[in-house]
Amino acid sequence: MNAFGLAPLILILPVIGILFNGLVGRRFVVANRKTGEKWSGWFATAMVLGAFLVSILLMYSLFNNDFHAEIIPLFTWINIPAANLNIPWALQIDTLSVTMMLVVTGVGSLIHIYAIGYMHGDPNFSRFFAYFSLFIFFMLILVSANNYLVTFVGWEGVGLCSYLLISFWWDRVDKDGVPMNANAGRKAFVVNRIGDFGVILAIILLFWTFGTLNYQPLFESAIEMFTSGQMVEFGPYSLPVGVVLTAVTALLLLGVAGKSAQIPLYVWLPDAMAGPTPVSALIHAATMVTAGIFLIVRSEVLYEIARESGTLILGLVSSPDLVAYVGGFTALLAGLIAFTQTDIKKVLAYSTVSQLGFMVAAAGMGAYVAAMFHLIMHAFFKALLFLGSGSVIHGMEHGHHEISQHGEEDDFDPQDMRTMGGLRHRMKTTFWVYLIGSLALAGIAPLGGFWSKDEILAHSGEHLVGVYILLLIAALCTAFYVGRMLQLVFFGKPRHEAADHAHESPSLMTRPLIVLAILTIFGGLMNLPFIQEARAERANNHPESVYLGLEGWLEHTIQAFELTEEGVVHLPHTPIVLSPTVAGLSLLLAIAGLTAGFIVYRKRPKTATDPDPLQRTPIWWLSILPLNTLYMKGFVPVFNRFAAWLAFAVDWNFWHDFVHDNLIRDMFVTFAGFLADVIDAQGVDGAVNGAGKVTRSFAGALGRLQTGHVRNYALSIFLGAVALLVYFLYFAR
Amino acid sequence: MPSTVPIEWYVALTITMFTIGALGVLLRRNAIIIFMSVELMLNSANLLFVAFARHLSDLQGQVLVFFVITVAAAEVAVGLALIVVIFRSKHSINIDEINMLKG
Amino acid sequence: MGNPLLFIILAAIAIAAALGMLLSRNAVHSALFLVLNFATIAVFYIVLNAPFIAMVQVIVYAGAIVVLFLFVIMLLGAEQLRALGSVSGSDRWQQILAGILALVLVGVTIIALLQAGGSGSEAIPLIDSSPTALGLELFGSYLLPFEVTGVLLLAAMIGVVVLGLSKKRGEDA
Repeated sequence: MNAFGLAPLILILPVIGILFNGLVGRRFVVANRKTGEKWSGWFATAMVLGAFLVSILLMYSLFNNDFHAEIIPLFTWINIPAANLNIPWALQIDTLSVTMMLVVTGVGSLIHIYAIGYMHGDPNFSRFFAYFSLFIFFMLILVSANNYLVTFVGWEGVGLCSYLLISFWWDRVDKDGVPMNANAGRKAFVVNRIGDFGVILAIILLFWTFGTLNYQPLFESAIEMFTSGQMVEFGPYSLPVGVVLTAVTALLLLGVAGKSAQIPLYVWLPDAMAGPTPVSALIHAATMVTAGIFLIVRSEVLYEIARESGTLILGLVSSPDLVAYVGGFTALLAGLIAFTQTDIKKVLAYSTVSQLGFMVAAAGMGAYVAAMFHLIMHAFFKALLFLGSGSVIHGMEHGHHEISQHGEEDDFDPQDMRTMGGLRHRMKTTFWVYLIGSLALAGIAPLGGFWSKDEILAHSGEHLVGVYILLLIAALCTAFYVGRMLQLVFFGKPRHEAADHAHESPSLMTRPLIVLAILTIFGGLMNLPFIQEARAERANNHPESVYLGLEGWLEHTIQAFELTEEGVVHLPHTPIVLSPTVAGLSLLLAIAGLTAGFIVYRKRPKTATDPDPLQRTPIWWLSILPLNTLYMKGFVPVFNRFAAWLAFAVDWNFWHDFVHDNLIRDMFVTFAGFLADVIDAQGVDGAVNGAGKVTRSFAGALGRLQTGHVRNYALSIFLGAVALLVYFLYFAR
Repeated sequence: MPSTVPIEWYVALTITMFTIGALGVLLRRNAIIIFMSVELMLNSANLLFVAFARHLSDLQGQVLVFFVITVAAAEVAVGLALIVVIFRSKHSINIDEINMLKG
Repeated sequence: MGNPLLFIILAAIAIAAALGMLLSRNAVHSALFLVLNFATIAVFYIVLNAPFIAMVQVIVYAGAIVVLFLFVIMLLGAEQLRALGSVSGSDRWQQILAGILALVLVGVTIIALLQAGGSGSEAIPLIDSSPTALGLELFGSYLLPFEVTGVLLLAAMIGVVVLGLSKKRGEDA
């Protein structure tokens, strides 16, 4: 069946959701809170579910289409013939974009359902869902675009939605009067912008080099230019294509670092936890932050050419390897930072950064399928963990509400893990699903997380040993802090009365968790190595592509190829065989890490104020690099001062006061006054009134002719007659 | 008769009578006298018509005089009736007092 | 065109009668002078070879119109009015203007006449101006004006009757 025509629906449905919730949703909620929330929330969810259904239909259509990509044009967006600039807005439906669509809409709809329960009672309920739908809209634009510029539109759009949703409760201030949510939102936006700068430069370079931004023609001409050794002209200079593409991919890396929170631009992600938990789950775990990895995978051709060209950045490392190392270091650094976090959401935030590092490293090494596989699995279990943490926080808040008498103890933080403990008994469902998610994160077989992480490790083991070591240690750290988290939250004894009185969250929140847990458990089946082996055998015997596993599915869009003098040679698929050493080692380390975490945190801390057991060991100083301090003390004051100068001196004093008020307004007022007083009052009125006066006086004068006396009339007639006679006699000969 | 009266004499006579009639209209205050002056003017015109009819050997001049006399009769009848009506309301035929249409 | 002597006599009578009508204080006297003028005009008509018109003039003008005038004069008692009465300041200049205009008119015309020169004194043949000829002309090319004049007389009659109605009935009508 061919459902490609339905593709525009994935964009239209979220727009309907935006319009509904943005324009009329509020009225529903205000009128009747319970049913209004149902209307608002389920409408948005229905839109996302609709998009999910369309994505499934598109998947089937691809099946029937031999997995060939379909381009569905929507309209011509920018067309400047003089500059040879023609950028259409078209949807590229291929296996990669459909994969992302499924993840975004699938996990998105589950999180929507969760959010209906989580955001219950919030006065801005419908605004939340309007923003959510807006985010889905932009994310789908990002993944379905067929050219770099439209992708960038989506890129920027999700950045905007991230800002809007992080600072959703923008009017909340902490006890020092600092609007921390608003600041966090702004920080996310500004840091993202630095990354966007890189992406814009990359796009400009790409357009300059290839004259088009559409993926397929661009990639084809890139391969052609590289194999033919063509040079790119930059005015008087010319560079080989490989060098240009190295620059492009490095600039794209900057964007990826911003969007996917890699070093050095990861600083916004932990602060972004100020937003509501569904936001953290959707945007900062499952979808938006993966946009960077998606971009790298999409630009596979460029990265491979950059790798092949052998151009080294600063003579040290090629661009893709740089990507891999950045990913590796980020994974390790974030993993270490997570050791010392006391806020449960911050642990998950740093964990996300770390896992993103895994994905970025995989993409940098050329293991695109592995990166996508881990992306999907991570979406499942990280969303699960975030939603689970939201459930835990919900429970803690309820417990606190029960025990506190009308607002005492205002500085109770429901997200502080030091006050939790023993929730295993009080929130059973949450505990089990959280456990599943945590084990997947740690990489315990046979959960999905194990397979994907293991594939990345295997790749790195074969290609870049340095990255392999980094990732291995990062995996160990992951397991450790996961164990720590589990122990502090769910095991042991409650360290605060609120934890004692916590109870399970409503089913609207727990049911999506269960669904995600199931996905986590069985998701690994997507790309098991055994399947890959079987597939390779079949492929080698039957040259027709065979769909089997994620690798086969994605291979139609991201093909492994080698560039030789004859051109592109598509490599036959050589699967990464499951090597028992790598898998076994990682599994061992995972179990070891978990156990270590469990043991260290088993009995301590006993109360909420006890110091963390690790603080007594010298490891703790490995935590936060001064990057955050650098940002706060170095960048923020300068930025604030510059912004203040722009606002007050330039905008207010110069623009408003001088130009607007004095120049424009006064000039206008004077001119208007001139028009009104002189031209209108004296000139026009004078003319009109004068005409009236003249007429009146003339009429008055003439009126005196009407004496009423017949004789006068007769006289005038006589006068006229005589005059006529004289005229005819003498002058009209 | 050997010598005839040139037409110019008739014109002069007519003009004189006409002027006297006009002066009568302009200078007298009695409405009836004014009417009579108007009749005088009409008569002078009639005389000129007939004179020219004779001078140009054309009968149409006399035809026109015929009509003028008829119309003058009708006009006098109506005008005098009007004067009677005005007299009924104003009890005066001094035309200087008939100025109700003063503008 | 007649004998010059006859013309001069008749012209003098006519002008004298006109002046008499103009200057007479008594309205009845003015009417009588007017009758004299009309009669003189009638004689002129006869001299000018228009006998029918002359008779019509006598019958209609002298016989009917002036009689009507006299009736009205008697009815309204207008003979007591003064003639050229006192004049107010604004009327003075009008009278003067009227006099000037009159002089201008007469003077201009006479000068024009003198300048025109003689038109010859040959004898002009007489034309047939009997009632028959006049009747043929009237009912020939002037039938429409004839009929229209009839309607005009009808209208005048009706108008006079309406105007002459007494006050009470006049207001209703």
